[in-house]
Amino acid sequence: MTKTLISLAAMAMLAISISVAAQDVAPLNADAAMAAAMSAQASESESRDQFRSLDQDVQTLKKEVLDLNRDLFLLEEELLFPANSQVAFFISMDVGEYFELDSVNIKIDGKEVANYLYTAREADALIRGGVHRVHMANLKTGDHELIAIFTGKGPHVRDYRRGATITFDKGIGAKYLELEITDRVKKQQPEFVIKEWE
Amino acid sequence: MNIKNSIFALLVCVFAASSLASSGLEGQPAPDFALKSSSGANLRLSEYRGDVVMINFWATWCGPCRQEMPLLDELFTRYQRVGFNLLGVNIDDDSRRAMKMIDELGVSFPVLFDARKEVSKLYEVEAMPVTVLVDREGRIRHVHHGYKPGYEEKYLDQIRSLLRE
Repeated sequence: MTKTLISLAAMAMLAISISVAAQDVAPLNADAAMAAAMSAQASESESRDQFRSLDQDVQTLKKEVLDLNRDLFLLEEELLFPANSQVAFFISMDVGEYFELDSVNIKIDGKEVANYLYTAREADALIRGGVHRVHMANLKTGDHELIAIFTGKGPHVRDYRRGATITFDKGIGAKYLELEITDRVKKQQPEFVIKEWE
Repeated sequence: MNIKNSIFALLVCVFAASSLASSGLEGQPAPDFALKSSSGANLRLSEYRGDVVMINFWATWCGPCRQEMPLLDELFTRYQRVGFNLLGVNIDDDSRRAMKMIDELGVSFPVLFDARKEVSKLYEVEAMPVTVLVDREGRIRHVHHGYKPGYEEKYLDQIRSLLRE
């Protein structure tokens, strides 16, 4: 009987000591959790900063690549088309009511040098005042013959094909020629003119 | 000597297999082109920048092309509204034959005519069909030579992953 009483008392003591220990541990756990949360927050903000700086690096690198690309392009043009022998051909369009441009074929001295197909967007851009550099070449000084053949839809949406020819003198220095498509209102027909830029 | 020969043959096989598996065009910017389409309009690849574009080179005399085109059309109609475009490039000398086949198959994607074979040269087309996948940035990402049943699953996975980028 006394043994049973002693063992019961021992168990009660043990239970009390466990609950006290648990009470002691609880505040310790809360502190640890708070510290962990704070360190997680700090590491998160650190990684965000790192990401931001990485993003900036990428943007800078992108800009440098674009600049390099532009410089290379200009250098290539200067090397391939030196100013002295350079000839450039431009296409422009005024109104465009009697002609829907489909393609332009350019021949210099009987040799085909460009054949450009215009999409609806590109043709629209020309009507809105855009000028398209259709071809660039190197030519010797002297006389050269240019033949431009325009295809598209003419008045009453009929297939239309017209040519324009010019003999131009290539002197020293760059030469620019504009192939202009205009509307001749009186005849209700398109007109194709080649102009030399001064 | 025999060992040398067999090593050489093995190297040749490995090289041939690797060249078939991946094309030199992958990772390169897709060469730009403009061609007349079946609708009569001229279409230019660079105007599709921002979309995932599949370019499918085909010919009327190519059996696998006939098999593949309706499946490609399904992909086109399914993903067109989320930024996917498909340009079929026909390389026949006579575009009328191509038009007839398009009518027969009832495909809805735009078909362009490369009778002068200029575009197929740009894309190094040496077999039929050739299917090229171009990403939103205008870069060639996948090139498939030929067609076998089941390739459409591969196309589907690649299109979906490129659309997600």
